[in-house]
Amino acid sequence: MGERSELAERQCGAYDRPKTCDLCDVRERSICADLGPREFAHVEKTMARRHVAKNKSLMVEGEPNESLYIVVDGSFRLSKLLEDGRRQVTGFLFKGDFVGVRPTKASAYTTEALQDSTVCFFPHRYLEEIAIDAPGVKDRLIARGQTEYHKAQDHIVLLGKKTAEERVISFIDLIGKTIGVDDGSARRTVPLPMPRQDIADYLGLRLETLSRTLATLKENGKIIEVSRHAVVIAA
Amino acid sequence: MRPEWRKYLSWRTPRYTSFPSALHFDEQVAAADYSQRLGEVGLYEPLSIYVHIPFCRQMCWYCGCNMRVENDYGRALRYVRALSQELHLIGDALRGAGRTRAVHFGGGTPNYLKIEEIGAILGAIELALGLTDSARLAIELDPRLIGDGDVARLAALGFNRMSLGVQDFDVEVQAAINRIQSFDLIEAAVGEMRRAGVNDVSFDLLYGLPKQTITSFAETIDKTIALSPDRVAVFGYAHLPAALPRQRLLDAAALPPEEMRADLAAMADDQLVGAGYRRIGFDHYAKPDNPLARAENEGRLRRNFQGFTDDPADTTLGVGASSISFVGGLYAQNARALGDYYRQIESQELATVRGLVLSPKEARIGRTIREILCRSTADIADLLAALSPMEANAVCARLDELAGEGVISWDGAIVALATDARVLSRIVAAALDPYEAFNKDNPTRRLARAV
Repeated sequence: MGERSELAERQCGAYDRPKTCDLCDVRERSICADLGPREFAHVEKTMARRHVAKNKSLMVEGEPNESLYIVVDGSFRLSKLLEDGRRQVTGFLFKGDFVGVRPTKASAYTTEALQDSTVCFFPHRYLEEIAIDAPGVKDRLIARGQTEYHKAQDHIVLLGKKTAEERVISFIDLIGKTIGVDDGSARRTVPLPMPRQDIADYLGLRLETLSRTLATLKENGKIIEVSRHAVVIAA
Repeated sequence: MRPEWRKYLSWRTPRYTSFPSALHFDEQVAAADYSQRLGEVGLYEPLSIYVHIPFCRQMCWYCGCNMRVENDYGRALRYVRALSQELHLIGDALRGAGRTRAVHFGGGTPNYLKIEEIGAILGAIELALGLTDSARLAIELDPRLIGDGDVARLAALGFNRMSLGVQDFDVEVQAAINRIQSFDLIEAAVGEMRRAGVNDVSFDLLYGLPKQTITSFAETIDKTIALSPDRVAVFGYAHLPAALPRQRLLDAAALPPEEMRADLAAMADDQLVGAGYRRIGFDHYAKPDNPLARAENEGRLRRNFQGFTDDPADTTLGVGASSISFVGGLYAQNARALGDYYRQIESQELATVRGLVLSPKEARIGRTIREILCRSTADIADLLAALSPMEANAVCARLDELAGEGVISWDGAIVALATDARVLSRIVAAALDPYEAFNKDNPTRRLARAV
């Protein structure tokens, strides 16, 4: 395992290797679901799990990264520094999302936990070794998940929208599709684990515009409820 | 100023807010070129937005800007609608790319507009291009038009840099330039800015105005220091009555003689530096803790169409009549006349009418010229390598002469301006500029004095 992983280990606390992946609750939904039994046995052997405390980084912009990470629980913020030294939020990762898709000497993003979170990680070196036996294993591993590249696509689509309402409602829909929870009575709760300032920054809006827009969306019924860390929309 | 340098007082040079200067722009560049370059902007590329408001309540006779005296506010409202349309046309071309990091309102007189309209323009920027709370918002203000509560409302909109066109505090000078504004008025404006929490207040001063004397200008600088702005720009007045008919209203006979211009600039420099301001480039001053001074200190000082700046964005998008954009190596300037500007924007087309595609050679020359202007020293090896042998010889001959006169030191590839020769920065820039030969053969009426 490279230096980067050791660094991450120091930052994030001890990692453990689960005795079996059977208990993984994201497995069925995306991770590993497209792997054959033989591939899976390989992957299971090289995989390790790590807890990342709130506000700690998984990857740091400009530093090397040697592992592929899968969010098993919790959420992360992707951000990068602009040339003027200010931070730009570039996306959010939720359960089942991937990051670190390619090994690199300088990560393009910083990935920080928005809450206490858990990831599984696979050193790219081992994935490449497995690939000799099972070609394309990495592609199949991430076939159902969203990667940092999908997040960039989402972002440019959102930023291209020309009204604040469109941007905000599209953002809520996007998150709702990933981690929204239906309550069985045509209502879907969409958790918003990130601070409002992050949402505003991500959507290219001023905080006041975001607050006003959320209020308007509630008034005209497009949002049923707004609270600090969630909104409720029609399912 | 050393006697052997006095000859440069009559020289005329471009202002070098860009290289090549806007005088080299032509009609080869059109809206489609601008649109194409906008389409190539990176997703997270920092953008600096310049908004030009060409209206004034009254004409100042020294003014060289694109402005008109407007008495019908309805016309200004039409302009604000056009700005919003232009911003959306730019947004369509960007398709979500680019991050707005800085917005600068200049003029004319931005506060000719009511705060509602200024807020509406910010709203249009937010929807068309994106605008977050961390963007730096700057606005030029005419102190005579600041109404009750305006400053606080601008601060509430997020403006954290405000600049006042002071020019000169002397009553006689003010009468001679048709811009009467009392010290009390400026003092009140600064007080409101401070109360509103604005910690980046800037004054623009002008030397070389009619009726100015060494004594009167020294008093203007004293009054400036007493009000303690965070930045001061001390520009030389450019008298170009042939190109700018309104300047013919000035009493040319009352203009200070050439040699006095250098003395006025040197005196202002002494006083401001003595009061603790740092020199920034050749005509700006800033308190040591101001972002501009920090940028200078850390070698991050830049030069754009507003002068010396700490704005790190390479890409500048100018909106409004006559505004200049720079994106992906292309300079694109909007139509200057309001009628032409409206015609293009209202037919859903970007308002570009002229510009220039920066050649790799010009990019290299421009870098070296900016280097000498921003840091007073530059490595000229790359510039010489970019030039033809004939051009390089001419540049070296000009530098030789300047070195002989002590304006610069020239050691190997390093050219450094003498500390007392900052005022001649543009002469040195012109020496490095291969296009300058062309300008001297055609004594143009549009170039201002170098000093």
